[in-house]
Amino acid sequence: MRKLLVVFAVLLAFTVFAEEVIKIGAIFPLTGPAAATGVKIKYAVEVAQEIINGEHPEIELLLGKSAGLPNLNGAKIQFVFADHQANPELAMAEAERLIRNEGVVALIGCYHSSATKPASQVAEKYGIPFIAGSSSSAALTERGLQWFFRIAPHDGMETVFFFEYLKYLNQKYNANVKKVAVVYIDNEYGVHAAQMVKEKIKDYQADGFSIVADVKYPAGATNVDIEVQKIKGAKPDAIFHASYIGDMTMFVKKYKEFNVVPKVVLSYCGGYQDPQFVINLGKDADYFAGPNATTSALFKKMAILAKINEMYKAKSGVDIDGPTLEDFASAIVIAEAINLAGSTDPQKVLNVLKTGTFMAPYFVSGRIKFGPDGQNIYSASVMTQILDGIYEAVWPEQYQTKEPVPQFPDWNKR
Amino acid sequence: MNEIMKNRMLYLIFAIILILPFVLQDVNFQHITIMFLIFAGLGEGWNIITGFTGQTSFGHAAFFGIGAYTSTIMFYKFGISPWIGMILGALFAAGISAVVSYPCFRLKGHYFAIATLAVAEIIKQLFVSWDYVEGATGISIPVKPDSFWMMQFHKSKIPYFLIAYVLFIVATLVAVAVEKNKMGYYLKAIRESHEAAEALGINTTRYKLYAMMISSAVTAVFGTLYAQYILYIDPFMVFGLDISMKIVLLTVLGGLGSVYGPIIGAAILIPLSEYTRVFLGGTGKGIDLMIYGALIVIVACFEPRGVLGLFRRTKKRGAQYAKTTA
Repeated sequence: MRKLLVVFAVLLAFTVFAEEVIKIGAIFPLTGPAAATGVKIKYAVEVAQEIINGEHPEIELLLGKSAGLPNLNGAKIQFVFADHQANPELAMAEAERLIRNEGVVALIGCYHSSATKPASQVAEKYGIPFIAGSSSSAALTERGLQWFFRIAPHDGMETVFFFEYLKYLNQKYNANVKKVAVVYIDNEYGVHAAQMVKEKIKDYQADGFSIVADVKYPAGATNVDIEVQKIKGAKPDAIFHASYIGDMTMFVKKYKEFNVVPKVVLSYCGGYQDPQFVINLGKDADYFAGPNATTSALFKKMAILAKINEMYKAKSGVDIDGPTLEDFASAIVIAEAINLAGSTDPQKVLNVLKTGTFMAPYFVSGRIKFGPDGQNIYSASVMTQILDGIYEAVWPEQYQTKEPVPQFPDWNKR
Repeated sequence: MNEIMKNRMLYLIFAIILILPFVLQDVNFQHITIMFLIFAGLGEGWNIITGFTGQTSFGHAAFFGIGAYTSTIMFYKFGISPWIGMILGALFAAGISAVVSYPCFRLKGHYFAIATLAVAEIIKQLFVSWDYVEGATGISIPVKPDSFWMMQFHKSKIPYFLIAYVLFIVATLVAVAVEKNKMGYYLKAIRESHEAAEALGINTTRYKLYAMMISSAVTAVFGTLYAQYILYIDPFMVFGLDISMKIVLLTVLGGLGSVYGPIIGAAILIPLSEYTRVFLGGTGKGIDLMIYGALIVIVACFEPRGVLGLFRRTKKRGAQYAKTTA
């Protein structure tokens, strides 16, 4: 009996002195076809949690210095992870469970745009903020949701970024890039990206840009000979690729075989951004380019990023990559918003998210601010190009780690 | 007497299911009961063509997707009530299944199974590249205020549960009706021996076709409910092999060729997959899927006739024991 009393007293003491814990739901593909990425993102969110809850004066973020949230008496943040297995149905079910059963005050996720869609609709229904880090489908912010925010640039913004980069190459290096080919996979990601090119090019026709080839290939294609011949026939100066790692690798091998030598190849966030691209192709991966939220070449220029990467690498064994950093940002931003609101009241947090500007020194853009549609208006991307097997930042100039090379050399002269 | 007893058992099951979400008012539990009803209903539909008739279909996701897309497109493009979409979806699915299955019924055994698998993949690819239905991008169903006519409920899950419940009962009673009818005996005759059935004068092609059409219409109805419940569909989600396999798995696990089979199978598989994911999914180690898989392997190894087979065997043993001790 006495033992029981002691246990009871200890438990009581714990509940009285325990600091308040604020739960935030984090729904990612922890198993299934994108499990490798999902687990990397989980590590990054755990790093964010460590930075927020621990004392990290060396990391100059709003919540780095103090332990917990200073405006809420040092309350700790706990990210509750859930797995959606790349299945929209599970994303929806998990969102509802986290809100109703776990009592989370906000949600982040879900990497796959198709999973983010139903999950954020649940958040909207319950009036809970949802921040998507890396889901890039433009459709997400076109739904008119009140409680939805997104950090990554969507494919429409990426397309504008591509044309601006080409303009820069034309002006500075006389690259004379005019003819564009669009090569894309036959799913939401690819089809939507291609639609964006067709839409945005209207604004750049005055600069002489035109589409000379529109090449769609089926998901799971095992041979792209016909597609590559079509591209070769159109003689494009630039190729815009919306491809995953497997098909991107296949295309590059065929470009070499058929001796397709464009001036520039730019890739939407996908296969090119996966470090596996360089491992798969070695020297043949050189000169390909694409936007990236970060690259290891930037660590030298950005001290905070290097420190975050150090913590991340200790967990994951690899350097932090673009999408992972964007989901890291979503975790930091939601914690900062709760802290600034001084409360977990959803309406107050929503007001902060809608009006505030968040410092994000780990991004080249340096800050995050959400527009009326919930889209981050500061695109956190640098143009990277693989030079000697390293993703170098080549544009905008102030973040340049190396100058861009606006011409592919002949394949046999690499 | 036995028949009445059997049906009594069924009514008892119906009654127990009905009180579940009211007893345990946990939102996750309610979600699980809805998914249980949807998949048990899908299993009942699939049982008609595979369990009763012996024609293994690995492509029922095709009809599930047709049901989901028909109602969604009608609602999304023209604002037509999903209830009308549900009926049209069922008719479409029955029509398409007839057109597709007719040539496939010339194939037997494994070849028919392969053909259904291929047909489902073809239909999926068609939807992926069909711009009118938004292709691979999928459709987010516009959110409307709570309404029975628009089949959308945001304040509570109970209305979804009740709709799923009624559809499940209808599907089960359809299966019972088919089984107990003259048609049920024809179908079982076809399952046992195609040639013998023909020799007895059964028009095997016609009855297989009927079975397929009923089965796919039942499947399509649940597709509509699923789309309205999740409020988002894309071809990979509703036409995916995952859906086809889940239907097969839970019916086989419960017991093929009996109306109780899909109910038992879904009652085991759906909560198992949901709860293991809820408790272990967040670890990111996939432990939930390992446990899920291991249990299926255990059942398959020790009782290939499903859990129902296990019941029957235990009952038989009990009866034998009673006889010997008497």
